[in-house]
Amino acid sequence: MSPSTRRIVAPIVGIVSFGLLWEALVRVFDIRRFVLLAPSKIIAELADAPDYYWSNALVTGRHMVTGLAISLLLAVVVGSLMASSRFVEEATQPVLVLILVTPWVAYITSVVLWLDGGEPTILFMVAFTSFPVFTFGVVGGMKSADPAARELLASVDARRWEVFWRLRLPSAGPSIFTTARFAMGLGLAAAYFSEGSAFVTEGLGYIGQRAAAFNNAEALWATIVSSALLGIVGLFVISALERLVLRWHASQRT
Amino acid sequence: MSPRIELRGVSKSFGSLDALAPVSLEVGEGETITLLGPSGCGKTTLLRLIAGLESPSSGEIVVNGTSAQEARRHKQIGFIPQSPALLPWRSVEANARLLLDINRKNSPTTPSAAVGELLDEVGLGEFRDAYPHELSGGMQQRVGLVRAFALDAPILLMDEPFAALDEMTRTDMRHLLGRLCEPLGTTVVFVTHSIPEATFLSDRVAVMSPRPGAVSAMITIDLAHPRLPDIEDTEDFFHVTTTLRAALSAGMNR
Repeated sequence: MSPSTRRIVAPIVGIVSFGLLWEALVRVFDIRRFVLLAPSKIIAELADAPDYYWSNALVTGRHMVTGLAISLLLAVVVGSLMASSRFVEEATQPVLVLILVTPWVAYITSVVLWLDGGEPTILFMVAFTSFPVFTFGVVGGMKSADPAARELLASVDARRWEVFWRLRLPSAGPSIFTTARFAMGLGLAAAYFSEGSAFVTEGLGYIGQRAAAFNNAEALWATIVSSALLGIVGLFVISALERLVLRWHASQRT
Repeated sequence: MSPRIELRGVSKSFGSLDALAPVSLEVGEGETITLLGPSGCGKTTLLRLIAGLESPSSGEIVVNGTSAQEARRHKQIGFIPQSPALLPWRSVEANARLLLDINRKNSPTTPSAAVGELLDEVGLGEFRDAYPHELSGGMQQRVGLVRAFALDAPILLMDEPFAALDEMTRTDMRHLLGRLCEPLGTTVVFVTHSIPEATFLSDRVAVMSPRPGAVSAMITIDLAHPRLPDIEDTEDFFHVTTTLRAALSAGMNR
């Protein structure tokens, strides 16, 4: 098998085997549908109302992307401040770690009360949970900027924003893309869960939460699979953007 | 004719470490002076002081009629760092233009040579659109030379630009540099620990000795201009290298 065929065939074989094993397990051990629903039934459910799941997946996708964009924007601002001042960095780091380690599921109720639910709550949760990861990526990347290039820019009296724009930000590109994958995972989970708690009436999280309440295992599992697919699409988009933006970087050469 | 660079009793210490004992030095217009010495003799510190990248602990520096800081602000100095410091996301041509793009209001309005012409001159005409990772070490440093020459600055400061190159490339590079500098009448301060480089390129060589850094001898190189590569095979050239070697070891055993 040629490497290019293998790259397509191998993942398919992996996923299909996983699905078959799953289906077999459910049938052989007669597992309760809420614990594990057979893939065949999930596919049937998705095929039954594709528009419904598609439009709700779009809502969740929009929540995730908007939240992550806000988060990245803030991370670039905070990260640049941290990268340019040791004091700011050391003062901010513990706060970021605190945000990172505190289980957001524990305080989401307070956020719902504070923002009165709705889309602001969801976006806040997505942005807040992914913010530390993005910030660490920005700081690490900016600090990796070539010292010789910094000196070179100083030799013609480059302004701060010129150093930022021409050197520091592009230097942070590779690590921003790396952390974006983790941030997306966090953001998707936050979007799904928040949709179930923020008094909204759309999104995969909302359907999933309602399905759980009404004993509808088919709908619940359909939202689980839909959000997994959403995550995969997200990873593809990140990889594609990365290949486009970081053509110059060693990681993108094969 | 007034000197382009003038140092009067310039010293530098970092904390309790005396990096540079008071140095006085004048570099005339169009003159090439080399700071030659072993590692730790303060030659890079001296160069950085002239570039306005460090402030002296005592003494006065006049560059092109003003302070080093002022000269730096007005882009009067073309700096060539030890590593090529090319930005990997910029093409060869964009890298060569980098210093023109920074602090733009002080860029020359009518540079004597366009970036493209300079790239042709150093044999990189066909590599304009290439990226740094596609170039050899010698080619990368040639981009570094073009980047500095493109500024059309009256003063060029070079910090061991060929230190990381292999011997053969290094020889080619000093011949190339000689060819670029000769017709321009630029004032050059060149830092190196290579005796042949110092001999081939300089009008005068400041031999430096370590702990604390000081100029232990000033030697005029009486070789005719223009200097062509075959001068390196002459007896006169050999003579000068012997003198420099003797001055270096005398400085070391001070």
